[in-house]
Amino acid sequence: MKKTKIDEKITFEEQLVKLENIVKNLEEGELSLDESVKLYQEGMNISKMCLEKLDNTKKKIEELVIKEDGKFSLKSFTLNEKEN
Amino acid sequence: MIRNTLENIYSVSKITKYIKNIFNSDEILQDVWILGEISNFKKHSSGHLYFVLKDENSQIRCVMFRGNSLYLKFNPRDGMKVKIRGSINVYEKRGEYQLYAKEILEAGKGELYLAFEKLKNSLKDEGLFLEDYKKTIPFNKKKFAVITSPTGAAVRDIISISTRRFPNIQIIVVPALVQGINAAEDIAGKIDFLNTNFHDEIDFIIIGRGGGSIEELWAFNEEIVARSIFKSKIPVVSAVGHETDFTISDFTADLRSPTPSAAAEMNVPDKEQMSDSIQVLRDKLKFAIVRNYEKKMERLKYFKKNLVYLNPENKINQYYQYIDEFIYKASNILNNLIKINEEKIKKDLQRLDSLNPWAVIKRGYSICRKIPGYQIISKLKDIETNDHFEVIISDGKLIAKVDKKEEKKT
Repeated sequence: MKKTKIDEKITFEEQLVKLENIVKNLEEGELSLDESVKLYQEGMNISKMCLEKLDNTKKKIEELVIKEDGKFSLKSFTLNEKEN
Repeated sequence: MIRNTLENIYSVSKITKYIKNIFNSDEILQDVWILGEISNFKKHSSGHLYFVLKDENSQIRCVMFRGNSLYLKFNPRDGMKVKIRGSINVYEKRGEYQLYAKEILEAGKGELYLAFEKLKNSLKDEGLFLEDYKKTIPFNKKKFAVITSPTGAAVRDIISISTRRFPNIQIIVVPALVQGINAAEDIAGKIDFLNTNFHDEIDFIIIGRGGGSIEELWAFNEEIVARSIFKSKIPVVSAVGHETDFTISDFTADLRSPTPSAAAEMNVPDKEQMSDSIQVLRDKLKFAIVRNYEKKMERLKYFKKNLVYLNPENKINQYYQYIDEFIYKASNILNNLIKINEEKIKKDLQRLDSLNPWAVIKRGYSICRKIPGYQIISKLKDIETNDHFEVIISDGKLIAKVDKKEEKKT
């Protein structure tokens, strides 16, 4: 599996909230130049990670097959509506 | 047997009309009370109600038009036992007879409904429905599982909506029985199975099925399903039937979706929208940092301006100016004084000039001075007889001797 820099424990939504807060902080403009540059870089990093994260999977629709002994496998899922 | 010949053949419409007339002429069918349980209840947006009234053996289609349904004092639901007053007539278009309800009264609740209420209340008391236990539905792994019939419309809708919203999503379809006697156990078992084997792999589980009668949805009202949902460490979304259907699994799940489609709409984010909103945030970031920098520069400029204003050099220059002005004023005053005095001196000089003895001498007067000593002789006592003296006249002097002194007679 490809390793990503993102902390998996932080959800996408949390990252977005964090990003929104950074933007809000920066927009208020009360920070020192040093702090704002630091925040800017953090924000750019987070947003880049978020964008990368959106793309780091490949479409896969699978069907779970459970055998009688409890072992399982995944096979490609195809929709069959005729049986319905 | 004239009636039974081909010449007297009926059209479908004609025979239907004939049957309809039989219904219409029957006194009982035109105004009757019927006891039964509501099933397949649907409220059309027009306000008309459509449902089936049934008991163990039979069922009859019912319709209640808006004009009558407006006066209902309760909301009819599947499983309710009711007494209905109405007329039974033929719906010609379908060739079906149905009950046109004019009045509905509750007649104690249906058995399924009672079982539902009982379980709902006891699980509620136990705390299974508490908001505190509800997990938020993440979308971190971009992968979820759906426990449902692999051939139903539900799975098709969920897959098509999910992949439309997030094209590179991953879905695990977990086939399960969604109705019938083994359905509840199957669904519960699949929830447990996913928790054991896929806990770290998926964001959430959708359990559900398309619409159906209360009996068809019943698996989702079973305690065993509720228990598995409550126990699940993976967040569970319950998406059973239509939006009017409420099941125990809906109450227990971390999120209830009104329909399977809605489950996908609600929990799978729109990728394009997401990347757009991140892009917007990035633009905002860039704008904010530039703005921030400009703001700082503005302040710097302001301070610089202030600094110039407060520079001591500036004050010294001011003093210089003050001094210059002072000197200018002072020299003005002096010049004035000098001018005034000059005039005076001129006048004095003129006066002095007029007193110059030489001027007098030029006019013919003379001055006499004793020799030696050169004292000016102005009185007789200033010189004696036989003394010498000089007489100064305009072009020289005369040396003379006093022969005689003569006093002026008054």
